[in-house]
Amino acid sequence: MSIQQTRNFCIIAHIDHGKTTLSDRLLEVTNTISMRESTDQQLDSMDLERERGITIKSHPVAMEYTAKNGQHYTLNLMDTPGHVDFAYEVSRSLAACEGALLIIDAAQGVEAQTVANVHLAHKQGLTVIPVINKIDLPTADIESCKRQLEDILAIPGDEAICTSAKAGIGIVEILESIVERVPSPKVMADNRVRGLVFDSVFDTYRGVIGYIRMASGTIQPGLGVKLMSSNKNYEIKDVGVFTPKMETRPQLNAGDVGYFIANIKTTAEIKIGDTLTEQRHPSDEPLPGFQEIHPMVFSGIYPINTADFEHLKAAMAKLQINDASFVYQAESSIALGFGFRCGFLGLLHMEIIQERLRREYNMDIISTYPSVIYEVLKTNGELLTVDNPAFLPDFSVIEEIREPIVKATIMVPNENIGDIMGLVLEKRGVVDHTESLDTRRVMISCELPLNEILVDFNDKIKSMTRGYGSMDYEPAGYRADKLVKLDMLVNGEPVDAFSSIVHRDKAEGRGRQLASKLKEVIPTQLYVVAIQAAIGGKIVARETVSASRKDVTAKCYGGDISRKRKLLEKQKEGKKRMKSIGKVNIPQEAFIAVLKSSAGG
Amino acid sequence: MMPLRHLYVHIPFCLKVCPYCSFYKERLEPTRMRRFLDALLLELERESGKRLLQPRTIFFGGGTPSALSASQLEYLLTGIRERLDLSALSEWTLEMNPATVSMSKARLLRALGVNRISMGVQSWDPALLSVLGRVHTAAQAERSYEILREAGFDNINLDLMFAVPTQTLAQWEATLEKTIALGPEHISAYCLTYEEDTAFFERFSSGLYAQNKDWDADLFEATLDRLEAVGYDGYEISNHARPGRECFHNLAYWEGADYLGLGPSAFSTCGAERWQNVADVQAYTSRIFAGESAIGFREEVDASTHLAERIAFGLRTNRGVALDLLGPWQSVVDEYLSEGFFTHDGARIRLTRKGKLVADTLAEAFV
Ligand SMILES: Nc1nc2c(ncn2[C@@H]2O[C@H](COP(=O)(O)OP(=O)(O)OP(=O)(O)O)[C@@H](O)[C@H]2O)c(=O)[nH]1
Ligand SMILES: C[S@@+](CC[C@H](N)C(=O)[O-])C[C@H]1O[C@@H](n2cnc3c(N)ncnc32)[C@H](O)[C@@H]1O
Ligand code: SF4
Ligand SMILES: [Mg+2]
Repeated sequence: MSIQQTRNFCIIAHIDHGKTTLSDRLLEVTNTISMRESTDQQLDSMDLERERGITIKSHPVAMEYTAKNGQHYTLNLMDTPGHVDFAYEVSRSLAACEGALLIIDAAQGVEAQTVANVHLAHKQGLTVIPVINKIDLPTADIESCKRQLEDILAIPGDEAICTSAKAGIGIVEILESIVERVPSPKVMADNRVRGLVFDSVFDTYRGVIGYIRMASGTIQPGLGVKLMSSNKNYEIKDVGVFTPKMETRPQLNAGDVGYFIANIKTTAEIKIGDTLTEQRHPSDEPLPGFQEIHPMVFSGIYPINTADFEHLKAAMAKLQINDASFVYQAESSIALGFGFRCGFLGLLHMEIIQERLRREYNMDIISTYPSVIYEVLKTNGELLTVDNPAFLPDFSVIEEIREPIVKATIMVPNENIGDIMGLVLEKRGVVDHTESLDTRRVMISCELPLNEILVDFNDKIKSMTRGYGSMDYEPAGYRADKLVKLDMLVNGEPVDAFSSIVHRDKAEGRGRQLASKLKEVIPTQLYVVAIQAAIGGKIVARETVSASRKDVTAKCYGGDISRKRKLLEKQKEGKKRMKSIGKVNIPQEAFIAVLKSSAGG
Repeated sequence: MMPLRHLYVHIPFCLKVCPYCSFYKERLEPTRMRRFLDALLLELERESGKRLLQPRTIFFGGGTPSALSASQLEYLLTGIRERLDLSALSEWTLEMNPATVSMSKARLLRALGVNRISMGVQSWDPALLSVLGRVHTAAQAERSYEILREAGFDNINLDLMFAVPTQTLAQWEATLEKTIALGPEHISAYCLTYEEDTAFFERFSSGLYAQNKDWDADLFEATLDRLEAVGYDGYEISNHARPGRECFHNLAYWEGADYLGLGPSAFSTCGAERWQNVADVQAYTSRIFAGESAIGFREEVDASTHLAERIAFGLRTNRGVALDLLGPWQSVVDEYLSEGFFTHDGARIRLTRKGKLVADTLAEAFV
């Protein structure tokens, strides 16, 4: 098929506005998947994606469509993850397209990630087709959505197509407007091989499968290729398209979207955003926009049962094969034993990995409180990066500690602005400016330490605004601040899993919170347990778990002896599963409770 | 062959089932009693065929052995006397509920060789007796005690319970004083335990009743203090006796001696074997008559388990445990000594007051 007959487009939206559901309808209407074989959320193939209703990976699929003008088209669709954790992956998917369907939930209107995604699409020079979805909802407000399109995004409201992905309304209009409005792929004139790798997966039987958009040239089995970021050579074994199953084709041409398989061993070798070129006539320059992605959030993951360490290691290796953005390294903790320090793109990414370990690999794990990466300037001029508070050097040799900052945009109803500003302040944020979006909503632009928004910030915005607020953020460098290390001591011994880096002004409060939480969860024992919070050796909070006063069975007649002995054995067995810090036994549940509680942050 | 020195007989019948009690028992059903008593005697015959029985102590427990009528008791006790060599017997205890004591029964028991009575008084407070769902009044309990004395029993234990819902310290002290005034040879003072499968446990689980370990500890300590002061030696966690009036049957359990148990739910331990009869009167009776084993559970008590039990239960008594048994746990013993949970007199380790309060936690180290 000629390149004039190809359209590459993606679907972008704020989380949950209906991208995946709409994609499903497009697949059905184009008969790519018949109604009968369709399971809902066709493109969300991972169990977890389907269950949580969140798209985690980009899913390309080729659809055949005969338009009203009688012509036949190949429409390459890309469903993209809606969550900020995956912003870079989204940007690479966008780079593989000429057009974008911008989905807006008719009941929610434009939200923070809508804005962020439109900016991304414009940066890539994409044609944006606005779609107002979920018009079947009784709370749908189409007029207001159109106004917001104009006021906030400068997109003419009457360009919008009104749809209900659920009820199947407006689907054909979308297909027609893709044909009409999205340009056919632009192709570079020199015909050198250039392909944008925008995602990859690992298949047990076929190895690494690269997702590719051909910018120019042709690839076919047997061709010697190389990845430009690593300069490594490979040979193409197979190419094809997604229908959405992988279907072999003789070749992929300029403008095509599909997959390639070469002798690539791990997804770590194939970086998202990389350029595939030919060995013999390589492109001079890679395609623009490539970045190495680095994890932003770190956390320790430990097996609850120490004997499971090797299993956990194997599970992590398998996960990484499929997801190179997840990194891990063995570490050990006095409190938790042997485990791994893991890096994630963000909190959602972290939760997903943890859940997959639990679910797909049946691992019983405990994870430590998430941390960001700090830059530590030592007095001798050396600059360290620290992703684990336990490895912070002694305070006497620290000149300053810098923490990652993000630029955040928060969109909220007018009446919540006070609360949200308060929240931003509480999280040590600095408001840059606020701007009215329309008569009902404002947009707050601010800078915040990443560490402060790691855990419950988004949830708080949602609950303060009854679900109407939304936020988006991007990294904005590092800034020095008065940061200190907070240690928790149990009978004088520091428990590394509870250490954290916090702002000086918040350290005491947090120390007190943590101490009282610990008091709650550490069971009474034979001895008094002193719980202390310390900042650089200075005790700032203390709590005491008094020694157990009574633990003795009243009645023990002859027949009871077996039962009683077994009870003692069971109690003892239970304690074996506790971590002992000195003479104090801390149950696993206590760690989990503290690490989970928001006091942990 | 070493003769078996301790015999237990379980009589699983009560007039009324108390809401806190998890012992195996049924509502009294006088009609089928004869068959049950015959089963007990048959089991005794079978067992004496297998091993040499020459008890020093016999304990009739329950349930409520005194719930049997005088003639049923006579039939059973006579039957036992006919089948057993009682030449070594020095203690024969029978448990009684105050509502089932009569002069004729008391005289009969005395005449047939029972020389120790253990009676469940629980409390002298009418309000608490009703919380405990007891069938007798305080006055009835006192009268029963007098009857037992009149009948010639000079070795009597009274069971008491503390930490009963709504019980105040004053109420408990009054019960202790009243008991002391009556002057039994032995007092068992049990802290109420919420046992699974009881009405009390349900009320506890639903939050209706609560347990406060500090409060339990206060009452426990008050008990030890008071009884000690008036000459009752707290020779086991919950047991207090005038010197020489300890319950030797129970001491035998705690010191790891062998014993034979007859009747449904009764445990036996002989050497490395331990077993329990089925806890079901019907099943027990029919199995015995069918010539089948009435055993419902068995376990092997190997040397290390036996040692663990001797330590765990020995520690509960004021004889304590011989230091040389504790060899493998030297460092734990040292720790407990230095922390004031243990004392020793060179040869034996004993719990201190502080240690008694947490005896279970301490015992864990040795199982
Ligand atoms: N009423 C109504 N609900 C819809 C419509 N389209 C989608 N939904 C619902 O909206 C929710 C989110 O839909 P998804 O398709 O998973 O949204 P998404 O944008 O792919 O979400 P992410 O992948 O997590 O960003 C689901 O519960 C859908 O059933 C619609 O047209 N009408
Ligand atoms: C088998 S009964 C004694 C005789 C008779 N059945 C009676 O209740 O009067 C044994 C004793 O154990 C004690 N006991 C029973 N259940 C108890 C519990 N849940 N907690 C503490 N002691 C209990 C009571 O003191 C009771 O008297
Ligand atoms: S306490 Fe005694 S009378 Fe009450 S149910 Fe238990 S055994 Fe029977
Ligand atoms: Mg989706």
